[in-house]
Amino acid sequence: MTKEREASLIFFVAGIYGFIFSVGLPLGKWNEPGPGVFPLALSILLCLSGILWFIQGKKRGEGKMDWRGLARKRVTPFQIVGLTAVFVLSLDRLGYLLASSLYMFVLLAWISRYRVWAALGMAVVLGGGTWFFFQKVLAVQLPRGFLPF
Amino acid sequence: MDVLDGLYNGFQTALTLHNVYLCFVGCLWGTVVGVLPGIGPLAGITLLIPATFGIDATGAIIMLAGIYYGSMYGGSTTSILMNIPGESASVVTCIDGYQMTLKGRGGAALFISAWGSWVGGTLSVVGLMFLTPVLANFAMKFGPPEMFAVLLIAFVLLGSLGRGSFFKTVPMVFLGLLIGTIGMDPLTAALRFTHGVKELFDGIGFVPVAMGALGIAEILSSTEESLRRLIHKVRLRELLPTREELRASWGPVFRGSGLGFLIGLLPGSAHVLSSFVSYTVEKRLSKRPEEFGTGRIEGVAGPETANNAASGSAMIPFLGLGIPTGPAPAVMMIALLIHGVRPGPLFISEQPQLFWGLVASMYIGHLILIILNLPLVGIFVNLLRVPFRILFPVILLICIVGTYSVNSSTFELLILLAFGVLGYVFRKLDYDVAPLVLAMIIGPTMEIAFRQSLMRSGGSFSIFWKSPIALVLILLSFFLIFWNGYRSLRPTKATWEQALEEDK
Repeated sequence: MTKEREASLIFFVAGIYGFIFSVGLPLGKWNEPGPGVFPLALSILLCLSGILWFIQGKKRGEGKMDWRGLARKRVTPFQIVGLTAVFVLSLDRLGYLLASSLYMFVLLAWISRYRVWAALGMAVVLGGGTWFFFQKVLAVQLPRGFLPF
Repeated sequence: MDVLDGLYNGFQTALTLHNVYLCFVGCLWGTVVGVLPGIGPLAGITLLIPATFGIDATGAIIMLAGIYYGSMYGGSTTSILMNIPGESASVVTCIDGYQMTLKGRGGAALFISAWGSWVGGTLSVVGLMFLTPVLANFAMKFGPPEMFAVLLIAFVLLGSLGRGSFFKTVPMVFLGLLIGTIGMDPLTAALRFTHGVKELFDGIGFVPVAMGALGIAEILSSTEESLRRLIHKVRLRELLPTREELRASWGPVFRGSGLGFLIGLLPGSAHVLSSFVSYTVEKRLSKRPEEFGTGRIEGVAGPETANNAASGSAMIPFLGLGIPTGPAPAVMMIALLIHGVRPGPLFISEQPQLFWGLVASMYIGHLILIILNLPLVGIFVNLLRVPFRILFPVILLICIVGTYSVNSSTFELLILLAFGVLGYVFRKLDYDVAPLVLAMIIGPTMEIAFRQSLMRSGGSFSIFWKSPIALVLILLSFFLIFWNGYRSLRPTKATWEQALEEDK
């Protein structure tokens, strides 16, 4: 499938989603348009854009996206996204200091391929450094988790 | 208060030790984020938003604006010395800037780039100073139909001038507008697309969307590229350009200032577009266009001046109308809203100290930047010696903690990640994400203006053509839509050649 067709599917699916959930909203009258009018109009326009690009994509096709090739690379954005998701979800439980140090350690050791001790040292410095800068210098309240600080 | 009085008071505000310090911090950080590929002005500004919580709104905007225009200076350094654009506006500078470095004229390219940036930046502040009050006074006459028409033409221009084709930008705008409707309807308090999730009642935060779709997506893309870099050294004495180089750069610098200023007023990635337009104009005007790409100083002077001029004039619609024309001004607007200040037509009359303090600080900031970017260029280049495999986890972490610090919400981090993935996917599919982000922030104002117009007219659409301003802008929007349609359907030279080939 061409890149344009892949993009058109995203627009179409977003349009269908918007259509389904905005049809139930009050549409009001022309002299008092309700909260559903704008999202409904946008959803229809998105669906139409998706359909038009799907048709146009067949003719124009500016190349294909090699998602499988991307997934086979040693460092993939998907690994980074997965690790980041785990970090975000564990942030409230573990607290910023511990979670960020662990996150940095895994990124540096697994993705950046540093030796374990080097990765550990850098992770502690980076996790602790950002914690100190944001918590102590900028007075941002970072999640504590089970730690007392 | 006339302009000179305002400027005098502005310098009194900007020249306090505290504000000069904040301006310096902003310019320094802006240069650093401009030099480092992977962190643009958007991430740079967002990261320092928490640092502004403890200071007044004037100090906050002085610092954040310093990051914005400072990043334009820094971006050219890596383009010229390493062929890596530190900032998207400096992509064009790579073409001739790096060739000059290979010929041993990298120092001169850096000098002309910094000098042009200073001229373009300073002239755009002069324009900002005179035009913003005029625009704000004019906008006082705006009711909902005029505001709707202004936003409509803003979106059409966004599509016409974007990096992709018009019809590629339009669905991105629709998607951004739809995302902007998530949350509580501002007129009826009805909940839209929230599915009972409390965190969505106030809508999707702009910072996680912008940081995710633009910042995280950029980092994810960067990790795929080669991490090896060759850095060329520049000595202080090599910075001086020859007489011929200086003479050749005068025209491009002043043309770049004018072009950049005008393009900066338009919505979209104006600073990126201005550098491309300036390069094209210089090439067309040149007696030896074939030498462009081989290290012509005009190819550095014009684009670098234009992107700085555009960053200054981009502040005019943001401050005078309350309409940010790009993601970075939009984040500055968020920062001002956090401080209880709303940019718009009443901004200058309600906050004269803030407006004129900002204008005066921009003159000071440009002086600070030329000092930072010429003698100290070697220090900034050394930042690039930090391996990217260390740099990217750090950038990722500070993007996350920077976003968290705005609302202390873990939910917003999930939004950040989701939009990071979406931004990455759209990048891979060759779609520009900036229109989506801009549409998301301007969309709610457009919706309210549309609905209020119809309420005021009792449901009659004639309200949109009863006002001459709205009528002209709407007609212009339709003309641009048809023009873009015609341009995309019209057979090009390439399609004729292809058809001829097929016939053969």
